[in-house]
Amino acid sequence: MAFFASIPFLWLIKDSGRMIFSPIIYYDNGIFFVWLKNTSIFVGSALLISVLTCITAGFVMAVLDVPFRRFLLFSTLVTMLIPITAMAMPLYVLIDRIHLNNTLLGLTLASSYFPFGAFLSYLYYSSVLPQELVGMGRIDGLTDFGIYRHLGIPLSKSLISIVTFFSFVGLWNSYQLPRVLLIDPSRSVMSIGIEVFYGQGTTLIGIIMLIPSVLLYLASQKTIARGIFSGAMKG
Amino acid sequence: MILPYVGFMFFCGIIPIGYGILEVRNPSWVNMDGGPETFIKVLQDFRVGPALINVFFIILIFVPLMAVTVLSISLLLDATDLRGNAFIRLLFLIPALIPTGVAVLFWVSVVGPDVVWDHSNIRWFIGSIAFSTGIGSWIVIQYGSLRSIPPEVLEAGIIDGCNRFQLAIRLKLPMISRYVAYMIILLIVSASQIFNEPNLLIFTNMTTDWSLSQIAFSYAFKAADFAGSSALSIMILIPNIILALLFVFFTDFLKKSRNI
Repeated sequence: MAFFASIPFLWLIKDSGRMIFSPIIYYDNGIFFVWLKNTSIFVGSALLISVLTCITAGFVMAVLDVPFRRFLLFSTLVTMLIPITAMAMPLYVLIDRIHLNNTLLGLTLASSYFPFGAFLSYLYYSSVLPQELVGMGRIDGLTDFGIYRHLGIPLSKSLISIVTFFSFVGLWNSYQLPRVLLIDPSRSVMSIGIEVFYGQGTTLIGIIMLIPSVLLYLASQKTIARGIFSGAMKG
Repeated sequence: MILPYVGFMFFCGIIPIGYGILEVRNPSWVNMDGGPETFIKVLQDFRVGPALINVFFIILIFVPLMAVTVLSISLLLDATDLRGNAFIRLLFLIPALIPTGVAVLFWVSVVGPDVVWDHSNIRWFIGSIAFSTGIGSWIVIQYGSLRSIPPEVLEAGIIDGCNRFQLAIRLKLPMISRYVAYMIILLIVSASQIFNEPNLLIFTNMTTDWSLSQIAFSYAFKAADFAGSSALSIMILIPNIILALLFVFFTDFLKKSRNI
């Protein structure tokens, strides 16, 4: 089974002898580097927004008394299930209405909602942070934000690792939204731009697209492997 | 604290859904009068039947296969203290980190163009790509949830005479059952919405209507029939929402953080 899963990886190694960098680097006056810069801006900003908002939301929904809590949770679950093909067209119209079509800001706004991460954070906090501890925090005079800062965040190392990792992979490899929202090739991102090299430079593209995700996984795998729901099943 | 998230939820989730539902009222190519009949007209599209069979094939064959594989590998990795444990996890994860477009070309190269051009095995081929790109992330998540089981619980099981297999079946699996249910639902959802894999095989002369999501996409972006696209997308969504409801009612997922 491990062999089956590693076939693409073995293929990369086998085919690496045929890698030719120059067509990719010099294609269309080095537009590859423009795509790389655009991707860095888009992924960096959307990652920051999505991780901050979804971890905070998961904490609030799991721990605090917030109005419409069940509605928020159920909406998170439902929006997570919606086909991206169904969302692409209305999102395109919305982004167009606020005159952000064909801009990185528009793509960033449309991609910063990460319900999977919010739901994972909700699961995490609802398992890790018992209500007794929250009650004790309140007796000590902590506000909602104080509970988040002093109890929620210190417990979140592995959660932040896993949410950051999955959000990054999703954004880095995102295909349908950039395809619909970015029309101008000079404003495109890597996942779309690299299509022109499919066939001749597939191996190199595979490696280029793989490296950041693998590095991020290697950097965070200890916290991930320690158990994303550490403490979740105690008691 | 939750307002920024709610803002994004409305902007990227609820408003687009509402817009999609309202869009069905408008006249479209499939239903010039507009209105709820669009749902029926879209279902009568000759492409929907075969696409439905394709999607069911992936759900019935590959989703159980993926769930069993993810759980078997996660349990094996958790039970054995191998030296290369981290490397094996990375090996399973790599296909999930590669963009689908590149993964499709990998597989075309591995099986050879003849197999892909002969469309008789295309369901198995697309299912295999979905399998290889889909299991890695879940192995990481399920392995993580297994590592979270307190050692005292497992020690108690060993004292009670459980061997490794019994530990896995009687203790570990029940303890991570919520996450297993969550995984199965999301696997079914992604299978019912399969899009990238068949869409990237167009160069093999494959139709662009292999899956339901492809048909919805072609309504919107090829025929500019947004009402038809919305109607079909909503119909893809309905079984997923029913699943989510069942999931919510049969588990304690929407409960607040527990008391000790």
